[in-house]
Amino acid sequence: MFADLKCGTLAELESGRSWSSQEVAVRVASRADAMRSHGLGRGDRLFILYGNKLEFFVDLVAAWHAGAGVVPVDNRLTPFEVENLARTVTPKIALVDATVPSGLGDALAAMGVKVLSSAEPTETIPAVLAHSLGCAARLDDEALILFTSGTTGVPKGVVHTHRSLRARWFSLRQSLGIECFQRTLCLLPTHFGHGLICNSLFPWLFGQDLVIASPFSPYLLLRLGPIIDEHNITFMSSVPSMWGLSLKGSKPPLGKSLRRIHCGSAPLSAHQWRQIREWSGIRAVYNAYGITETASWVAGTSRENFEPEDGLVGEPWGAAIKILKSPERQAPFADANECKVSETGYVWINTPALMQGYFGQPELTDQVISGGWFVTGDIGLVDDRGRFYLKGRERDEINKGGAKVYPTDVDAVVERFEHAIAVCTFAIADPAYGQNVGMAVVLSRHDDATLRQLHAWLKEHLAEFKIPQRWYVVDELPLNSRGKVSRNTVQELCALLKPVDLVRLLRRVS
Amino acid sequence: MAERERQRLELIEFLRTIQRPDYPLDGIDEESSLVESGLIDSLALLQIVTYLEQSYHIDFNERGIDPEDLRSVNSILELIARDSAS
Repeated sequence: MFADLKCGTLAELESGRSWSSQEVAVRVASRADAMRSHGLGRGDRLFILYGNKLEFFVDLVAAWHAGAGVVPVDNRLTPFEVENLARTVTPKIALVDATVPSGLGDALAAMGVKVLSSAEPTETIPAVLAHSLGCAARLDDEALILFTSGTTGVPKGVVHTHRSLRARWFSLRQSLGIECFQRTLCLLPTHFGHGLICNSLFPWLFGQDLVIASPFSPYLLLRLGPIIDEHNITFMSSVPSMWGLSLKGSKPPLGKSLRRIHCGSAPLSAHQWRQIREWSGIRAVYNAYGITETASWVAGTSRENFEPEDGLVGEPWGAAIKILKSPERQAPFADANECKVSETGYVWINTPALMQGYFGQPELTDQVISGGWFVTGDIGLVDDRGRFYLKGRERDEINKGGAKVYPTDVDAVVERFEHAIAVCTFAIADPAYGQNVGMAVVLSRHDDATLRQLHAWLKEHLAEFKIPQRWYVVDELPLNSRGKVSRNTVQELCALLKPVDLVRLLRRVS
Repeated sequence: MAERERQRLELIEFLRTIQRPDYPLDGIDEESSLVESGLIDSLALLQIVTYLEQSYHIDFNERGIDPEDLRSVNSILELIARDSAS
């Protein structure tokens, strides 16, 4: 890697495997050499379909050494979705392992992508040479492409260069220091920004120890306190839904290793915030705000002497935040367009860690970036003490326990079902996840067989976590006062209707 | 035995409301792992905890949660039995 960053140690929680910095360096060199021998070079793209394991981090850095951009892929996606991503970014190589469903590798191979196993033997580069091997990547080359929405339609890939990632990491180091991150636990998936860029790569590439675990494992969450003690964890980050399980069922940590906790990716209530503080025994618990486009954490609190409040985030980390009256990019920065102190408006962010753009979509990129300022799709305010509060989201997404499901992705699949006339996907309240996926659909046929066909269609085209949990079959979709289908209006209507009994419907064919 | 059967039927009825819809609850062995079998996803364990708190007044804040207690239909029934006996 560049001389300014140094990989720390890696450890896996469940398996107990660990690699020292020295071993990591040797393995990175060996894997980079292997990737080059398979033709990977500067400007190419590599899919990694596994995550949350030692090999993932080594292969990520190895690919950077080879000069390639990396696309971490959620292996819960269907072959249909992965093919769509591959058609967009045309990876040269895809890495798989035993945890990746074979259908994904097969789908990519059929498209001409070279599919390699993470277990493929590589020639070991002697340690003395490992540190001196050059890195082909340049600062403004693609480093990561993280897909957010559009897996079923036009994929929206957030492109981060080595420059924007470094800007995020160095600004976090400047704002937060590095001491608290000495031994970091990651329980979040490594295919999305929060878990990868900030929870894992930030501390690890500054030489700190990273302990990686399976994401969202209830067995780990219910033992979180003892795990923190056993592994002397100093820092962890998580999402509110995971805390729901740990606060309920895990004994708190008894040791004194914990120094800092972040919680993000979904709204953190003041009540739960206080519960986390009480459970952990530390006051340094922060609501970290970030978006994939800003390379994750871009604001939070840096002081311990505050009281949790609903919506409180805090101060920018390596960024400037403006609250404007308009989300439109035309002349957004006229004085008249800026909200007053404590006035709610649209959140715009300026940060050197801003993405390069959306992959292959310059017009879409231009819609959200104006003069270096990025419109987040969030609603917020800044109070008279300069503290940023998040008040809501206008982004069209369903936040399922921190994982984002985009209604347009679900709609796009249903619309292609032969008996679908109209569809509207919307958020429903969920006691475990916060939100889940609901759907109102107009069909040309309402019989059970058609509904089962629709379910099979959804399973073929959508990752399971995106499939609507509650269905409403309606005769028509209600229109709002402007004659358009509004997800909120549909949601309100469906709240009065009886959903399809999916368990009964699908029982016969199971 | 009648009490346990009642508890079992009520538990099955509850699981039906949180299960993945296309997994055959009828075919789930009462020793099978509810999560590993795919019947429920991991965060649904929280809903089982809430069900046990509300239906049987089990105090998990006091006892903590041993994931093995929530592993299968039988282990949940045994937890209910142990808690009511204590």
